[in-house]
Amino acid sequence: MNKALFIISLQHELAMAIGNKLDLKTMLKVFLRVCFNRLNLTSAHIHVYCDHSGIPSKLVPRESTDYQHLLSIPKNKRGQPWSKNSALEDFSQQLNDAQQDIWFQCENGQYLFGFIIPEHGLLIFETHYVLTEEVQKALQPILQKLATSCYTSIVHDSLVKEVHSRQLIEEKVAYQAQHDGLTGLFNRQHINHLLTQAIEEAHCNTHIGSTIFIDLDHFKPINDAMGHSVGDKILRTFANRLHSLSSENIDIGRFGGDEFIILLKGLNVDYQDTILQLIEQINQLLIIPFVIDANSYKLTCSIGYALFPLQSSTVNNLIKFSDIAMYEAKRTKCQQGIQYQPVMSERIKSRLAYVKDMKQSLEQDDFSLHYQAQYNHYGDIIGAEALLRWQHPIHGMESPAVYIPIAEESDLILAIGQWVLEQACRDIYKLEELKLSDSFKKISINISAKQLALPNFQDRVLYAILKNNIPAERLALELTENLLVENIEDSIALIASLKALSIDCAIDDFGTGYSSLTYLKRIPAKVLKIDRSFVANIEQSSESAAIASMIISLGKTLNMDILAEGVETKEELNCLKELGCYNYQGFYFSKPLPFDDFIKLFN
Amino acid sequence: MESEPFTWHTHSDTLCDFKEGLTLAQNSGAKSLLILTCQQNHYPEDELNALLRSCPETILGGIYPMITLHDNLIKQGALIIGFQDDFDITLFQNLHQLSDEEQLEAYITTTLEQKNNLCGNNSFLMFYDALMHKVEDFIDCLFECLDHSITIAGGGAGNLDFIQRPCIFTKHGLQSNVVLLVSLPKPLNISPAHGWDILQGPFLVSEAQGQTVQSLNYQPAFEVYSQAIENASGHKFSSSNFFDIAKNFPLGIADINHNLIVRDPILVHNNHLQCVGNVPINSMVYLLKGNTDDLITSTEQAALTLFSRKTENSLSTTMVFDCISRVLYMEDEFDKELNVIAKHCPTPTLFGVLSLGEIANSQSGAIRLLNKSTVISSW
Repeated sequence: MNKALFIISLQHELAMAIGNKLDLKTMLKVFLRVCFNRLNLTSAHIHVYCDHSGIPSKLVPRESTDYQHLLSIPKNKRGQPWSKNSALEDFSQQLNDAQQDIWFQCENGQYLFGFIIPEHGLLIFETHYVLTEEVQKALQPILQKLATSCYTSIVHDSLVKEVHSRQLIEEKVAYQAQHDGLTGLFNRQHINHLLTQAIEEAHCNTHIGSTIFIDLDHFKPINDAMGHSVGDKILRTFANRLHSLSSENIDIGRFGGDEFIILLKGLNVDYQDTILQLIEQINQLLIIPFVIDANSYKLTCSIGYALFPLQSSTVNNLIKFSDIAMYEAKRTKCQQGIQYQPVMSERIKSRLAYVKDMKQSLEQDDFSLHYQAQYNHYGDIIGAEALLRWQHPIHGMESPAVYIPIAEESDLILAIGQWVLEQACRDIYKLEELKLSDSFKKISINISAKQLALPNFQDRVLYAILKNNIPAERLALELTENLLVENIEDSIALIASLKALSIDCAIDDFGTGYSSLTYLKRIPAKVLKIDRSFVANIEQSSESAAIASMIISLGKTLNMDILAEGVETKEELNCLKELGCYNYQGFYFSKPLPFDDFIKLFN
Repeated sequence: MESEPFTWHTHSDTLCDFKEGLTLAQNSGAKSLLILTCQQNHYPEDELNALLRSCPETILGGIYPMITLHDNLIKQGALIIGFQDDFDITLFQNLHQLSDEEQLEAYITTTLEQKNNLCGNNSFLMFYDALMHKVEDFIDCLFECLDHSITIAGGGAGNLDFIQRPCIFTKHGLQSNVVLLVSLPKPLNISPAHGWDILQGPFLVSEAQGQTVQSLNYQPAFEVYSQAIENASGHKFSSSNFFDIAKNFPLGIADINHNLIVRDPILVHNNHLQCVGNVPINSMVYLLKGNTDDLITSTEQAALTLFSRKTENSLSTTMVFDCISRVLYMEDEFDKELNVIAKHCPTPTLFGVLSLGEIANSQSGAIRLLNKSTVISSW
């Protein structure tokens, strides 16, 4: 009677221990623990049938009964997990092969009892005694119930997994919608959204906020020279550094390229101090160089900011204003950050109008070329530099120092440069017709960075030469030292290629840049032009004389001709002559002249 | 020749005397100090903590209702055993803050991993706060995480008034809600016994939650329990004598090998019986009875079994974890129990505690929480 009651209570206890948890492993663990305690087991183990990817299967095809160890109580045997226990492995294999309950007495006197969990796995008990037949039989309905519960748990697990992966995908999509793929900072759209909210909050709470626009200075050359992978690493590193500043009231985003934006919220009356402190912190982040692939890069940034709602309450305006202020900071090389002022917009407006005027003038032929003659020490004209002149319809003659940088900022410089090239070629043709003396060699024109970057620049030059039917050696190109070193390898290749076509290059403004002499040695230029700043009052400045002397000897060493620009007095000429410079250009000889006046010089 | 552990005891309840003993123990050159003190002492906690924290030696032990030395029962005072070995101690603390089984398992796993899963150690003593929550869950989880084939003996520390106070000695001072697992440098041999016999049953535990039996045979647990006792003995339950009667009639959970795990009912509340230790739902329990002679005989048998066992290493120390309820049951005759152990004990050092719950391996190897039992351990 007691035995019957015991079996019933055992069955009842084990059955009640099934299905208490939804997750498969947890459910089986609860069951196994009850088995362990109630059946006085030494250890208990469950293996489950799995699919090819090792996930417990809902339905096992008859031909495939791959199983995996799922859990054991206790977890280890003599410091080793049970999953690595060979005795258990052998027994589970036998049990699986037999597909019926088996038992076995081990050498140490312990017993292993194996049961099949129908269609789901194997249940193994280690005991110090023999499980009676009644108990083994009593386990059969329990195993059936366990199988049903396994099925339910596996379905549940797969649903949970599905819901979880859906959640992950949704989270990922939500994340991607709000974050920049490269840096993980907020993207432009989300920053716009956050700014909309911040503006509303600022209105409600009478707080002040600021949009701070950051642009890395001279980042493009790094990207161009070292490749985008290096550029990207720098951007990521900078983004991480910026992220360290984020807080409840500071949101940070990447606006695009090397532009970042910071949203500063909840400011009080001392907002200026807070903003300036933050800008100082941003600059501090750049003090440590960016070390990428063993190279060290030291960068600075330009920062502009606008205030809301003080300066605007619209997202577009605030971003535009802070961007404008950033450009102002970049233009003025101000590191401390500049607050937007309406005058900046006015300046931009007038600049745009100015560009428009230039464009119109180009179409209306208001540009002209003046030629400044170049002389040798015998007084012969050896060439001339073509200089652009613009007769503004309202302002009159404009200074190149004003309009060239503006044209450089817009792409208008390309159209202007092309016009100069073609006009110079046309003028060279006219000079050819005049049959000038042998001492006259060539006309040189100035080339801008953007022109040089054109992939078909060389073709354009050749086309202009061919079109005007002039000898290529009559044209020379002047490139500034800084322009050359910006992309040194391409520059060397281009100059060499032009040289092979008899088109010489001159290095303009030499001495003002910081180019490495190693580079200079490799540039196959024909002429070095001493910058006018070293020529002015050279006879009174030992420093200028020393620099000029150095350039002259450098030119000689590298087999380059030397030409001094901006020679205005006889004293300067004599000094240069003494130093060994025998080619000159400057007001002392001739000012830049319209073409018709220039040709009169030959008479 | 292995040196005998330093042993010092006092019947004084003052910290001043304890301090003297501690100094002597430290001067003995011992590296590990097992400190056992009685609940009745008057040790200012702050001073005691400062004293423990200043000890450079490894500290272990606890405050128990009573302690024993050889065949003497010490109801007040302290006992310090100084061992030459530096015992490795694993401290599981703040266990009350772990709200569920997953957290408990994660904590035990992490703690054991930090100690390289106590690899190479198979013999442990366990001192724990008997009144911390879910002691048995901890024990089950510890066994699952530790290993197959370990040997362990232990006893719950605390006060017989069942009010939880710091009761475990650690290097950080006295602590509550902690388990101190001591790795012994030599193999441990244990022998548990209880001596209780079946009076009536079985009863089906039709409702239970943890340590509370709500119903037996689908009737309120206390009703079934009290009727069975009243019908079989001259006892009559009143509103105030539950413990006086219940200490004579524990419950026994029958396992598949007809072994009984004793559960001591200590409280009745809403017709439910609260025991020291879990009673699983749907298990079968018996009403047990005992008599002093049987209890002592079973203890003697356990001692004989243990001490006659052939061991590779010579045994030097014997520690007994004896349930305090056996003292309450046997009263003046409890000395006999100590005598039978001392009579057969071959080791020079014999001491013990009267605990609130005992820990030992079952025949299968699992760690069990026992009630009203004796666990004799020797190494």
